[in-house]
Amino acid sequence: MRNPLTNRLLDIGLSGWMIALLVFLYIPIVTLAFFSFADSRVLTFPVQGFTLNWYRELFERPDFLPALRTSALVAVATMLVSTVLGTCGAILWMRYRFRFKQALQALTFLPVLFPQLLLGVMLLLWFSVLGTVFDFRLGIPTLIIGHVIYVTPFVMIIVAVQLYGFDDTVEDAARDAGASDWRVLVEITLPMIWPGISAAMIMAFLLSWGNFYLSYSLNGSMRTLPIFIYSGITVGSSPIYPALATLNFIPAMGLVVLADFLRRRALRRDTGAAKEES
Amino acid sequence: MRVLDRSWQDRGVLLNSLPLLTLLTLFFIGPILLTLLLTFQEMRSYQLQWVWSLRVWSEVFSKYSYWVVIGRTVSMAFLSTFLCILIAYPAAYALATRLKNYASHIQILIIFSFLTDAVLKTFGWVLVLDRNGIGNWLLQHLGLGDEALNFLFTPRATLLGVVYNLSVYPLFTIYLSLKRIDRDLILAAYDAGASKWQTFREVTLPLSRPGLYAGAVLVFVLTLGTFLESKVLGGGKSPLAPELIRQTFETRVNWPLGAALTVVLVAIATIVLAVAVRLVQRTRQEQAAKGAEA
Repeated sequence: MRNPLTNRLLDIGLSGWMIALLVFLYIPIVTLAFFSFADSRVLTFPVQGFTLNWYRELFERPDFLPALRTSALVAVATMLVSTVLGTCGAILWMRYRFRFKQALQALTFLPVLFPQLLLGVMLLLWFSVLGTVFDFRLGIPTLIIGHVIYVTPFVMIIVAVQLYGFDDTVEDAARDAGASDWRVLVEITLPMIWPGISAAMIMAFLLSWGNFYLSYSLNGSMRTLPIFIYSGITVGSSPIYPALATLNFIPAMGLVVLADFLRRRALRRDTGAAKEES
Repeated sequence: MRVLDRSWQDRGVLLNSLPLLTLLTLFFIGPILLTLLLTFQEMRSYQLQWVWSLRVWSEVFSKYSYWVVIGRTVSMAFLSTFLCILIAYPAAYALATRLKNYASHIQILIIFSFLTDAVLKTFGWVLVLDRNGIGNWLLQHLGLGDEALNFLFTPRATLLGVVYNLSVYPLFTIYLSLKRIDRDLILAAYDAGASKWQTFREVTLPLSRPGLYAGAVLVFVLTLGTFLESKVLGGGKSPLAPELIRQTFETRVNWPLGAALTVVLVAIATIVLAVAVRLVQRTRQEQAAKGAEA
């Protein structure tokens, strides 16, 4: 307050720190994008020229498209299941107060705090023992179950934030007008909390899409994209992995921006409605 | 939204909780219990035998080399927690108090980098840190060093990767608790003649403690479960506990031993978690007491 110069230095220092962190976060991402166009099989710097060959080579790999398909299937299924479960959990959490609520909350959040590799290992043991009894193997269903356990708490948080601003007197009004519980849910409640749900769906999809640790234990003979990349880079580096990374970035960035837009619009609408009332 | 008091047997409560509860019982509590039971079994010629013995546990507690690896993992976890908080706190503070006009854009950039495939990002660091990579090229051309640094495939590279992959967690938890601080409290401190530093130390820092503890616990616990960084960046030369567990399952095919090592790591994580929960509760009580005094 008294010394404008130190204040100014403090402002610059703090903002600079944040920007430096942002640069730090993007160092490997930019590096990958750069090397995906570099015309050299060994990934060293400086580079000779630029090429799009690595993208072609990536699609010519016979095991790339199956991995892409598995990843997409698992991510979509995880997204659907965890969104339904997470929305139920969020409603339970925000709307009701009942015995055992705290215990239930702690239990539903524990999977996030659990080291993922260990969660994967425990599920692997579980499925292996059950598999010998009921005769099934690891594969896409076990992948989906593992991802759902891990992703659902994230969905709960995002939907719960949306529910916090939800004005439930509208539901009462619909009920007074003679609507059944089901119609209230489908025509009033779901459309009003939809922005939060769709943002949560995008988050769920991306968390499943990029998951490595759980897939590593639960994939059986199936490969998701992160497993495809991991098994490639531990053997030796190749420019097809930067190419794959770059292809991965563009739709992911689009989805993140879309999720943020939906969330923001919903928040604006809620605060707008609150202002009109008062 | 109004909160309704209901019995736990209420139809709405059951309808919303049963699917989640069933899933968690079948695929979370079930596996944990099974893992505990498996530690009392034995493996004979790659076949699991339900024999109920303590052999695995006596092996775990008698082999010094396991505890070296576990000790290394725990110290790595402390180190990465310390570094992540050190990096994240000023950044979260800047995001909450200085860069308000850009905060939403910065948040999107952070979330995107966070959600990008961790395997790819870790591989990106390999390309940066390689002897002939961009990092060394930059260092030499900026005149900072003549010799190429051998940074890749050292424990320090592992630490860098862990800090990189986890520093976003405390950034968000600290940011959220800083945002919740009532601005009037800070202005009141200034009015009472406190300097910036005093205000930060006496008001802002204590009030942001819940986010600080939550972020620290997340980093600590998640570090206990990393093996991607030690494998890809550390070159697998000084393995951490998850790598040991992975080998026990995959190479030695010893499920009971792997299960026992998993239980040890989970126990460490649980203790840290319990301590952190106590700390947060105590901070809340202290603050409530202070609020009551004022």
